[in-house]
Amino acid sequence: MNPEIVPIHRKEILREDGILFVRTEGILEIMIKIPLLVASLIIIAFTMPVQTSFSSTRTLDLTLYSDGSVHISSKLDVDPLDPDFELDLFGPSVDNFVAIGENGFLLSSEIIGDRATIDTFGSSTITINYDIQDLISKDGRVWTFSLDSPTYYSLLMPLNSIIVGMNALPSNMDIINEQTKLELGVGYSEINYIIGTTNPPVTNPPVTNSGQPSIDILIFALIGVSIATVVIVIIMTKRKQTKSLPVIQTENIFEPETNVVSNDVETIFNLRPDMRDDDKQIVKFISENGGEVLESDLRKKFLQPRTTMWRAVKRLERLGVVETSKKDLQNLVRLKKDVEKEE
Amino acid sequence: MKTVATFALLILVVSMIFGSMTNNVSAQDDPTILLKIAKRAEEQIHNQISDDSSDKVKRLFEEGVQKVSALENALENNDISSAKEYFLSAMKIFTELSRESSPTTQVETNTIRNDVKDPSNDLQRLQVYVTSLKTIAKKYNTPIDFSELAELFSKTRQEINDNQFALALETLFKIKEKIVELNKELREEASKQEFQRAKEYAQQYLEQLDRLIENAKKQDVADEIIAQLESAKENLSLADDKNEIIEQIRKIISIKDQFELTKNDRLESRVLQLEKTISILSQIDGANLDDLKDARNIIQIIKRHLYNGEFETANDLLRDLAKQLEEIKNSS
Repeated sequence: MNPEIVPIHRKEILREDGILFVRTEGILEIMIKIPLLVASLIIIAFTMPVQTSFSSTRTLDLTLYSDGSVHISSKLDVDPLDPDFELDLFGPSVDNFVAIGENGFLLSSEIIGDRATIDTFGSSTITINYDIQDLISKDGRVWTFSLDSPTYYSLLMPLNSIIVGMNALPSNMDIINEQTKLELGVGYSEINYIIGTTNPPVTNPPVTNSGQPSIDILIFALIGVSIATVVIVIIMTKRKQTKSLPVIQTENIFEPETNVVSNDVETIFNLRPDMRDDDKQIVKFISENGGEVLESDLRKKFLQPRTTMWRAVKRLERLGVVETSKKDLQNLVRLKKDVEKEE
Repeated sequence: MKTVATFALLILVVSMIFGSMTNNVSAQDDPTILLKIAKRAEEQIHNQISDDSSDKVKRLFEEGVQKVSALENALENNDISSAKEYFLSAMKIFTELSRESSPTTQVETNTIRNDVKDPSNDLQRLQVYVTSLKTIAKKYNTPIDFSELAELFSKTRQEINDNQFALALETLFKIKEKIVELNKELREEASKQEFQRAKEYAQQYLEQLDRLIENAKKQDVADEIIAQLESAKENLSLADDKNEIIEQIRKIISIKDQFELTKNDRLESRVLQLEKTISILSQIDGANLDDLKDARNIIQIIKRHLYNGEFETANDLLRDLAKQLEEIKNSS
């Protein structure tokens, strides 16, 4: 007798007919979980160094000049164990490069193409400043800034520039000394702008969904209320003064003007019998406002979209009833003094 | 296996959640600015369009205005994703319109040439650069005289104001020459102190290398590798030139990479970072000196743990110390 000791679990799978059966218990679990585990570990291996890496950009600030150059200022965390640090610049045409260590010391650097090697010698943060010509192009009047940024950054637009196109969504915008400053995110951004044009006034469009009013709005509101109060007080005082003035003087000042305006409107309507009713309302409103009004005020008064009002004004211009000009960077619509009779 | 898999998945999920949370905080949008930008662009394009503009331009503008209007409505309805879409569409149209209503290339080429003649931007850039150099010179206590540059800057400004661009360009050329001169002087001064910093850095590295060699011995790393590390350490301690120091450290990094001895490097880096933070905090008025003294003691304890190869304990202490330093920083 040579009794063979067989473990119980092996006994179970050994069949009399000698067919080899493969243990299937848990195979599904292993087949799914092992690839999942491997994939997880690979992702962790890729993501963890990125999140904890010492060589990362802390701040990135760009200033655009009106001649198409860009000043770049960046603060970076670097590995203090490394003797030097290689930095990818945003292009090869670099000027005025300065690298400063954490204690304000000038760091030696060498630039080859679009790569700078900086001797950090244990610095854990470095500040880089340089000018570059590679980020802006120009087509006709339109300048285009483009950057594939590895990090969030701020962008100070040139003075007197107006953004007329962009493919990215800014997370914030400020006006600093009449210059627009945008906060932009990681990835490719392209911003189109025009320089040296009439700069439209910075207006805060009405937005009803904003949660709490910002401090700026509150300040403006307070200033507005104060100014309005002062104006009302002045008007009230003036009215009291005018009441005490002789009747003759009152007539001299107010009556003729009102008569002239109303007569003018009637004359205009007589001279232009085909004028549309809604256009007549506009003419009447302009007349009541002393013969001139901003186009934006017309839009507010008649609650018309910009283009509709623009077309109406153009229609009146063609009829020879009004003329337009610029006032404080806005369109001023004025009734013409001599409306000629239609032929 | 099951436990390992679950643990790995847990780490993955947690790391991804925390990663994405950080991004979300940074990208917190203020959607109302989209409307501000779009309205300004609309206003600008509107000013550019005249009766003579083509029907295509007028139709496109109308489309753009509709998109801005839709953007405004979407914001009023708190529909941020639609608002973003309308914004991008409107801005795309306005870009096209700007190009459509742009004058011919010939005219523009002339404009560019005229722009280049005005050296205001060159002046601005050089002023920023000289400000950086001044700050550095102050740091080194160098007797560099910037008064001549200040005069030249003032002269250029006046020439630009008088539209004498040719003269301004000449003065700017003088400024550039002067900057090259000052830069040379400043870099000479910096290089004297740079060698000292390089020596200090090498000394720090040598201390870390001691700990690394000790750990390598404990981990039964081959004698040949330990001999290589010791030889590199010897060479580094003898290096008397900053380029040689860099070269020797590169060799050590290569040995460590080759034999996978870099696992405690990150902790060493973290120790260095915290040492620097303590040094910065000690220069701030109002920082609690006792707290900083404690922090320095903890750094020594962490170094001992690293020396003994107790990475987990060192890591825990590092994490706690980082939090404490943050609190000290906030309270000072």
